[in-house]
Amino acid sequence: MNVATPSVLNITELLSRVDNDRELVSELFSIFKSVFPSHLQRLSDAVANELPRQVEVESHTLKGMLLNLSAARAAAMAELLENMGHDGKIAGMGQALTEFQREGETLLLQMESVEFQQ
Amino acid sequence: MKILIADDDAISRRLLEKTLLRAGYDVVAVQNGLAAAEQLCKEDGPRLALLDWEMPELDGPAVCREVRKKKDQGYVYMILLTSKGLKTDIVTGLGSGADDYLTKPFDSGELKARLRTGQRILHLEGRLVEARENMRFKATHDSLTSLFNRGVIVELLGREISRSRRERVPTAILLCDIDHFKSINDSHGHLTGDEVLQEAARRLLLSVRSYDYLGRYGGEEFLIILNNCDPASTPRRAEEIRKALSDNPVETSIGPLLVTMSMGVHQTENWGLRTVEELLHEVDSAMYAAKAAGRNRISFTNLNISPGARNVVPTEAEQSLR
Repeated sequence: MNVATPSVLNITELLSRVDNDRELVSELFSIFKSVFPSHLQRLSDAVANELPRQVEVESHTLKGMLLNLSAARAAAMAELLENMGHDGKIAGMGQALTEFQREGETLLLQMESVEFQQ
Repeated sequence: MKILIADDDAISRRLLEKTLLRAGYDVVAVQNGLAAAEQLCKEDGPRLALLDWEMPELDGPAVCREVRKKKDQGYVYMILLTSKGLKTDIVTGLGSGADDYLTKPFDSGELKARLRTGQRILHLEGRLVEARENMRFKATHDSLTSLFNRGVIVELLGREISRSRRERVPTAILLCDIDHFKSINDSHGHLTGDEVLQEAARRLLLSVRSYDYLGRYGGEEFLIILNNCDPASTPRRAEEIRKALSDNPVETSIGPLLVTMSMGVHQTENWGLRTVEELLHEVDSAMYAAKAAGRNRISFTNLNISPGARNVVPTEAEQSLR
């Protein structure tokens, strides 16, 4: 069985959701780039300090942003952290955070390339 | 139409704002639940709202509960935005007073369709409120003259007398009766009689202050309550009101008619223990005294001087002949 892996950034889906408004997509990417580091920092702090409720809240916010940007893979990783926070599952959180950070970096790079194409 | 977006996520907020501006909405965007509740509880606040579930200060369901506590304002149609997809979450959201929910990431077509549903509900509510107001108006106003009907003007009189007693401020009661109205109806028909009543009501309304009360008391009788009316100026005010009708003929479909009225006036701040019915009886007697004295004049009764005593004031024309 071939299960499709979610892409880092589904630009086709994103454009279709914003009525093909490339200017808006560019604006949304800019907003993301400006707010993502502070959210990520708060999430990292919450993981480091073993504050599951904080992990849940920050991950939930990031998940919402990422879903709006059609960044399904990063959104799924944020959801995993959200669920771990919700369940108070500290074990494995650090690893999940590292993978999420890596995905975030990939996403930012992909956004740059999309902007470049526009 | 004005719409509120409440979302702490800047991306979601901008996405919604742009989508809704493009759809022709007048958008108000806030970043937390407290600001959303403030906006929605304003008298002229948005009636349509998109509320994120998770927000600082107050979350989406808490905003819904706050808004629903305000029962005296128009309906606000609220849609919760959520990336929560569990049935229990949806039940919680709708239970808090939300009308609908939308799952993130939203589809712009679905969002607009759901907002149109909201607008239909609000439009329907507007029509119901309008119908209720029409019924309330019909129940409290006379259909021919649009003045307060008898029940309402008598109730207002009771309230004003209580206030006058309590605050020791003078109030004047004027009962006006159109002279020879039966002969107007008999000679020119009821439609002309109706025209006379409508014009009399219009002129009386123009001759009283915005805080005075005027109602149709009976067939051709009008009751006026002059609040806080200085006793020294009551005769002059009553005379101005009488002249408002008699000074110029009433234009009717059969031509101009000269119409006059007789008036009974009672004024005091010292009402004793008289009931509204007794006071109305007193002022009615004064009005009949004016009729008996030749019509087109005013008769005063003043309990402060002598209960039941009446002074019939001649018209200005009669005064000039003396």
